[in-house]
Amino acid sequence: MKGKYRVVVQNASVKFDFTIRRNITILKGDSATGKTTLVEMVREHYERGDDSGVEIVCDKQCVSLSGRDWKILLNAYKDSIVFIDEGNDFVLGDDFARMVEHSDNYYVIVTREGLPNLPYSTEEIYGIRMSGKYGGLKPVYNEFYRIYGSYELDGLIIPDIVVVEDTNSGYEFYQGISDKSYTQVISAGGKTKIQQIVKSLPDDNVLIIADGAAFGAEIGRVMSILKHRKHTWIYLPESFEWIILKSGRIDGKAVEDILNHPEDYIESSQYFSWEQFFTHLLIQQTVDTYLHYRKAKLNQVYLSESFERDILAVMEHIHLTK
Amino acid sequence: MLHIFYGDMQEAVYDPATYFNNQIQDAWITDSLSVEMIRDIDHSEVLGPHVIDSPVLGGISPRELSGGVKTLILINQVSSRIFNASACGDNCAKWLLKIANDKDVTINLRHIMDFGDDEFTIHILNTNTVVHRMSELVMIASDFVR
Repeated sequence: MKGKYRVVVQNASVKFDFTIRRNITILKGDSATGKTTLVEMVREHYERGDDSGVEIVCDKQCVSLSGRDWKILLNAYKDSIVFIDEGNDFVLGDDFARMVEHSDNYYVIVTREGLPNLPYSTEEIYGIRMSGKYGGLKPVYNEFYRIYGSYELDGLIIPDIVVVEDTNSGYEFYQGISDKSYTQVISAGGKTKIQQIVKSLPDDNVLIIADGAAFGAEIGRVMSILKHRKHTWIYLPESFEWIILKSGRIDGKAVEDILNHPEDYIESSQYFSWEQFFTHLLIQQTVDTYLHYRKAKLNQVYLSESFERDILAVMEHIHLTK
Repeated sequence: MLHIFYGDMQEAVYDPATYFNNQIQDAWITDSLSVEMIRDIDHSEVLGPHVIDSPVLGGISPRELSGGVKTLILINQVSSRIFNASACGDNCAKWLLKIANDKDVTINLRHIMDFGDDEFTIHILNTNTVVHRMSELVMIASDFVR
């Protein structure tokens, strides 16, 4: 599946109205906001259609998944939006991750736990809140809000230490910036190790750079740590390859169109996360040219003065050079 | 005191809501602390052991309470089992501390719940450490959960 889909689920008491645009969406937040009610209404509508009294408006079939027979059920669901309530521990397992990876479904999963086997985006983690738009009216109108969407860099960040998730090209780029203002760049050696590295550093002008497209499982604990640090920040572009594509140095209107609406181009059964897609796109766009990109080893052309300047310009509010 | 084991805990009840639905007792609902928790978290009024008035859903049964409130009630009422309190949102944190005010309570957490800015006393079982602030708790808990 690709594209974004508006989903409206309602009965006489309550209405949910939201849009899904990636293969994995996480619902969390306070208790009693309607998460279980939403999944239950989807289940009832799937079982009994309009006779359930639940109305669903969506271009795709909406289904719920639970219980011991989840694998059998999931094998039967195609081209659907699959809702899973909390309490279903199969979402933590390798088997579930493997089925999601090659699936043409989108998934909406209720959980407060980070799901390390699934590469979901920090942007697609939502809470549910009652909308003020139709205050006092029935059905009570509920909307999604981004849990981590409000975290934006404020002012100009000039870090002394940069912690990057990457070990390969991304790390080499930040390490190789010719006229850098920071004194140290540290590779965490993977996203799961970022929290340990940050805890070992003083709270003194530290910038974390991670791939937001697949950092969803880590963002909860990292943000909990950052809440108690005043001079440590996190920057979450989709990925390092996305920054290069966004710099405007890769020619072609096609790239610009894709970056404006990635959801219309990224097939969920082909790409587990948008991070994988942007890497593939950059490699494809630069193959057999002097810009040839490889993830394992950075092409030194990306460290040339003009390239460096354009790539860094994408990183708003961050100053990495003197 | 509130004792917390962070991370995977085999003996904990992973899905407290289902356990609640099948073990519920009338006295659990009319207990004064349950009435307060239902009012605060679910914004609903207990009319009797079988009926609760919800401003959104109307008259509901205890089975339709939120997963968070069901888990809080279980933690308060069933001392013989340990429950996965990650079924509770941050708006349940103050109630976990209150339940554990005058008795020992053990819970399992699989995420970092925010216990707020005030001081508290929590025993982290993984490291046998007592902490009093979120800044201390986060430094330990983040080694065990995401």
